[in-house]
Amino acid sequence: MWQQIIALVLIIIFISRLTLLRKSGKILKNEYIFWIIFWSLAGLAILFLKQLDTLLIDLGFSGSGINFLLYLAVLFLFYLIFRLRLKILDLDKKITKLLREIALRDENNISNDK
Amino acid sequence: MKILCIIPAYNEEKNIAKTISSVKKYINDILVVNDGSKDNTQKLAQETGARVISHIINRGQGASLETGNEYARRHNYDVVVHFDADGQFLAEEIPDILKPIIENAYPISFGSRFLNKKSQIPWFKKHVIMRIAKAINYIFLGVKTSDPQSGFRAMSKEALEKIRIENDGMAHCSEILAKTNKYKFVFKEVPITVLYNEFGQSLGSGFRTVKDLLINKINK
Repeated sequence: MWQQIIALVLIIIFISRLTLLRKSGKILKNEYIFWIIFWSLAGLAILFLKQLDTLLIDLGFSGSGINFLLYLAVLFLFYLIFRLRLKILDLDKKITKLLREIALRDENNISNDK
Repeated sequence: MKILCIIPAYNEEKNIAKTISSVKKYINDILVVNDGSKDNTQKLAQETGARVISHIINRGQGASLETGNEYARRHNYDVVVHFDADGQFLAEEIPDILKPIIENAYPISFGSRFLNKKSQIPWFKKHVIMRIAKAINYIFLGVKTSDPQSGFRAMSKEALEKIRIENDGMAHCSEILAKTNKYKFVFKEVPITVLYNEFGQSLGSGFRTVKDLLINKINK
């Protein structure tokens, strides 16, 4: 019971923090909506943990609801790391492209100066 | 025929002037791509009269070569030669690497350390690393060459227009081979000599190259 309350309090803190970040314009609307849905679903799962247990047993799984949530969280983290990695690779390519244009533009300036 | 020699250089103050003066005997137009060097590479290269363009920060050899290639495309060069700044290649072999393109209309030619001429390749590199590299090139890229990682090559305008280097690091060697295969360019391997003043690409760097290749393959 206490663990559920602590988890819910943490989720409320995360959501209020997200709202503040959105208000100050530090995150985009799409990202804000994504994380609000994510944390709301996590909150609902914690609120209805017993029902989740029953649902999982009905579906034929042996683990409890909290284990299921943990597995989902780990999977989600791996997915996020993968997305993050793709984003970094994309940024890396863009940096190279930008530096290339600067280098070639500077070469033109030097030629014009001559 | 307009020919450009592209020399990527990163912290090569000890070799750059010597390398440029040796290349000058064979190619008039030399472009040094200073890849964010922290030493006097840029200044020393400029003093030789070569054209120098600079990346503000270090991006890797593949990125520098592509910057040089883009320069050649914009300045309408017919042929480019990729040549290392560290003095490992012999400038007198530049005519050999150009010959298949100029005389026989090959779109691309690769220098190979494993044909005829005797390069002083360290035993471990020759018999272990290069064999692994060859196998990786063959399995993942479908390319079979005698030298899987040679950086000494020449490309015609036709090849230059198609082959765009996307790997910023050392994996560009395999990438160029893969794209040569992809665009069905007929290529010629030319025997070259490589002087090893040190081990060259380290084992760690070799693993990074394989990792870059695999990531690039997954991203496609």
